[in-house]
Amino acid sequence: MAQPSRRLVLTAAAAGSLTIAGCKGITALGPVPKLGHDVVTLEHAINAEELMVARYRSAVTALAAEIGPGAASVKGKSARAKAEVEGILTEHEAHLERLKARLVLPRRLATARPRPSPAPPPLPSGRHAILAELTAAETTASDRLIRWLTDAPPALAQLMASIAASEAAHVVLLGHPGGHR
Amino acid sequence: MSGTSGTITALQAALAAEQAASYAYGVLGAHLTGQRFAAASADCVAHERARDRLSGMITVRGGQPRPAAAAYQLPIAVHTSAAARSLAVTLERQVAAAYLGLVAVEDPVLRTFAATNMRDCAVRGARWSGRAQAFPGLSRPR
Repeated sequence: MAQPSRRLVLTAAAAGSLTIAGCKGITALGPVPKLGHDVVTLEHAINAEELMVARYRSAVTALAAEIGPGAASVKGKSARAKAEVEGILTEHEAHLERLKARLVLPRRLATARPRPSPAPPPLPSGRHAILAELTAAETTASDRLIRWLTDAPPALAQLMASIAASEAAHVVLLGHPGGHR
Repeated sequence: MSGTSGTITALQAALAAEQAASYAYGVLGAHLTGQRFAAASADCVAHERARDRLSGMITVRGGQPRPAAAAYQLPIAVHTSAAARSLAVTLERQVAAAYLGLVAVEDPVLRTFAATNMRDCAVRGARWSGRAQAFPGLSRPR
């Protein structure tokens, strides 16, 4: 017989403790309740931000590959674009961290609804196409957050508005990597 | 924030910031030329429009828009083009923060208006500075 996995052992131990305590197990607690609308909104925002982070990580890798052998001017532009994209990635990671800090689910709910990590969407090849793809993603994400925040709790609405503003500012940077007025 | 009085307080805070920005853009524009002057003029008009809309929103809710000051103490002394651009960045950040209260009111139309204006501030700020912020308007973790 194969060795039981650590997860199985932990599950068995948890079931044992319930039995010892005189409980009938998790089924006795009834169906897992539905999440509140606020939590669903927050989860949507987290999912969208996870996807954005994944997209930016792919973009950094793709732009790094462009800085290989080639004309110095092309390499310089790709290096500037990569630096800009890396800076924006850091901000998206901060968004994600701040959003996740707001999500506090009871363990039973969290276990009942495991969230898969989003797969990075395929990026087009070439610096211009990558930056255009990121620009479109930022615009869509910013618009969506402003739609979602209308019925979010006040503090979450403020955070979502701030992130939407940050994403719109990223569009400016992606259009002119390393430049300003 | 709930109730008419809370909403009007939030509207007044945003109005005060837009009034100050409208004034300050007039000052900083005098130190810019060419495309930068044109950009400052356009941004000034955007703030004036937001200011006028906020005044209207206060009036229709039975409030009295607080009048603008005759002059404002600027956070940065402006004698050069670089200082003028730096002031524009500061203004945009301050105005974005002033909309936070309005994003928290119950009225979804006002929330959308406030969030859209915060976004416009962040975009203008990024054009002036060449940089973005992770959390425009939010000065500390929330």
